[in-house]
Amino acid sequence: MSLLSVSGLNVTIGATPILRDVSLSVEPGRVLGVIGESGAGKSMTALAIMGLLPAGARADGAAILEGADLLGKSEREMCTIRGRDIGMVFQEPATALDPLQTIGQQVAETILVHTGASRRDALVEADRALARAGLSQEHFPRDRFPHDLSGGQRQRVVIASAIALRPKLLIADEPTTALDVTTQARVIALFRSLVDEEGMGLIFITHDLALVTGLADDIAVMRSGEIVDGGATREVFRSLAHPYTRQLFEASSHVPVRDPALRGGAPVLEVTDVARDYLRPPRRVFGPPGAFRAVDGVSFSIGRGENVGLVGESGSGKSTLARAILGLDRVQAGSIVIDGTALDDSDRATRRKVQAVFQDPYGSFDPRQRVDTLVTEPFHLLGNEAPRGAERRQRAEAALETVGLNVADVDKYIHEFSGGQRQRIAIARALIIEPKLIVLDEAVSALDVSVRAQILDLLAELSDRLSISYLFISHDLGVVRAITDRVLVMKAGKIVETGRTDKVFASPQHPYTRELIAAAPSLSRALAG
Amino acid sequence: MEAMVSRSPGLWQRALRSRSFVIGAVLTSIIVLAAALSLVWTPYNYAAQDIPHRLMGLTAEHWFGTDQYGRDVFSQILVGARTSIVVALIAVGIGILIGTPLGLWAAAKRGTLLDEVILRANDLVFAFPALLIAVLITAVFGPGAINAIIAIGIFNIPVFARLTRAAALSLWTADFILAARVAGKNASRISVEHILPNILNTLVVQSTIQFSLGILAEAALAYVGLGAQPPIPSWGKMLADSQTLVGLAPQLALIPGLAIVLTVLGLNLLGDGLRDIFDPRLGGSRR
Repeated sequence: MSLLSVSGLNVTIGATPILRDVSLSVEPGRVLGVIGESGAGKSMTALAIMGLLPAGARADGAAILEGADLLGKSEREMCTIRGRDIGMVFQEPATALDPLQTIGQQVAETILVHTGASRRDALVEADRALARAGLSQEHFPRDRFPHDLSGGQRQRVVIASAIALRPKLLIADEPTTALDVTTQARVIALFRSLVDEEGMGLIFITHDLALVTGLADDIAVMRSGEIVDGGATREVFRSLAHPYTRQLFEASSHVPVRDPALRGGAPVLEVTDVARDYLRPPRRVFGPPGAFRAVDGVSFSIGRGENVGLVGESGSGKSTLARAILGLDRVQAGSIVIDGTALDDSDRATRRKVQAVFQDPYGSFDPRQRVDTLVTEPFHLLGNEAPRGAERRQRAEAALETVGLNVADVDKYIHEFSGGQRQRIAIARALIIEPKLIVLDEAVSALDVSVRAQILDLLAELSDRLSISYLFISHDLGVVRAITDRVLVMKAGKIVETGRTDKVFASPQHPYTRELIAAAPSLSRALAG
Repeated sequence: MEAMVSRSPGLWQRALRSRSFVIGAVLTSIIVLAAALSLVWTPYNYAAQDIPHRLMGLTAEHWFGTDQYGRDVFSQILVGARTSIVVALIAVGIGILIGTPLGLWAAAKRGTLLDEVILRANDLVFAFPALLIAVLITAVFGPGAINAIIAIGIFNIPVFARLTRAAALSLWTADFILAARVAGKNASRISVEHILPNILNTLVVQSTIQFSLGILAEAALAYVGLGAQPPIPSWGKMLADSQTLVGLAPQLALIPGLAIVLTVLGLNLLGDGLRDIFDPRLGGSRR
């Protein structure tokens, strides 16, 4: 018999249906992967099971956990079930922990709430839970605070408090999205071993197909509030019977078509021995300030029309390097030469040759300006030569057309666009002054897979047609592999390996590169293995 | 254009749904209309003395009665509204015109010596009780409406400087500011083109609050004889003059007192209402 069986679950907020006839079941000792794009209703399903729906939402149907219907329970009854029978792990480990409590206290809290245990017993039990989550007492005593730990370790603390009472069901909502690939691989291994050894049922919610393929036994594919496909993971992905599953699958492993003949030629960017220091507060009251070298002696060059990937984990100095190339920060040593001229932050003629696209499609536009003002913002770099009036508008319209948007969109405000459209507008803004190089800092990371595939196609097409070079910064190795010619691997401020993308991925030389590639979730590997 | 048209009724609908906003707006408009009316018409000359008809109660000829010199109280209230509004308006104007650029400048140069200097200068002004400095200024330069304006204005500067800096600092970390920097815009241009429009709501709300505080401060200064000088009427001065006659003619104290209370209440409600309207998180769900 199933541990949890959800049948005919409908959720509405006001008159708007959010979930329609959702049915799924979780077996003990097995992992159910729930996948889908944003807005598919994945998180809403989890919240409905937990009885944590937002105010105004109504749920009907049935969610039977070991014979008892969770939807019929009162809030008071749910309080005794949450944490004891169902554990939950959220996406952001940075905000899921109270910064003023030790990790032992936070894990012990769950135990204290649900059992009559004394404080001391609860702390001993918390130690055990932390050890089960991979934080042994010798290395991570319970009196540590969250800020002493890394992101992955914090997520282990969250997991420890979710599994402290050995719940029968664990729900994890994008638990590794905020983590680096190597950390993600370790946390995934932890989930797998917890399920295998303790016989827990796990609902694993993610947008990452490759990740879920490697972990889940069964799978449920959601789209706009409905489950459209499901079954044993292998079979679902081998047969690809449902068109939406096929579409997701193809988008995830999408490689844009590019013309290999166009690359090379004179370098547009030459970075030589660049170093960038951050000041640290002095140790003594009147002592000299310390320094932290975020980028340490980095050298590379990018040729005309060449796409170069820059990969590495958070804190490796990728974004700092990008800011230096964009002329936003001054470097402490070395030189940055763009198209033959040394970069100087007051020199507009050089700066106009480099533009950027950032990660967050929602935060990168002034909400109070219209698209034509937003897109033509880089004209500022042209000074007196900047087009005005009708010509300016024409250029804005042309830029929107280039990225596949409608000419009429110039008069709209940014809140009228979806995430993918906003990222197209960001690309239009970068293109409008015809730069030689565009720095793409995690530019597709926040997008759903199908939108991401479209944006990658657009980028590849623009690179070929306009011979623009990209510096493509990403933690997602799959994307880097799909779109770049050459790749740089960065670790602790240094470039540890560089080479042609296909060669680096086929035979990585540096141990760190090998670790990165092994940790990255891969669809083909998961299905072959 | 479509976006503008579709957006503005939303704001209006929310405005009309907010009880604080409607009451505050009505009270504030009554005071502003009274002040405007006094420019073209008052029932009597506010300064004309009429000793035989002194200390009259509320009558059909003198709606709010007369004071100890036989002057019409209703006319004085109307002209007093003008004094209060002009003093408070200019004082808040001084605060916004000097404080906001200082705050924007400090935020643009965050973490530098200049930021520190601006902040500490603000602390210095905050460290003195406002009324004490007002007394000091009027003691040195002599009493009068202009000196009262300057004294109240000075204390509005750090309020707006700090508010602007705090609001601007959080905006400086936004990606769209980064995009503007990549487009080669310098800090002052970004401050004017991107930061200022995005913090305008906050400033408007704070202005209504400071405006009501300005009216209170003017009344207080006039009460101790440091505001507008006779024969120009002011609500604070009317209160002070009526003090000795409270037993004989309580309405002389009650009427200017009520005028001050209603104005301050109206402006505070207006500020509250505006904050609710501008804050998208509160939406229309409240009240």
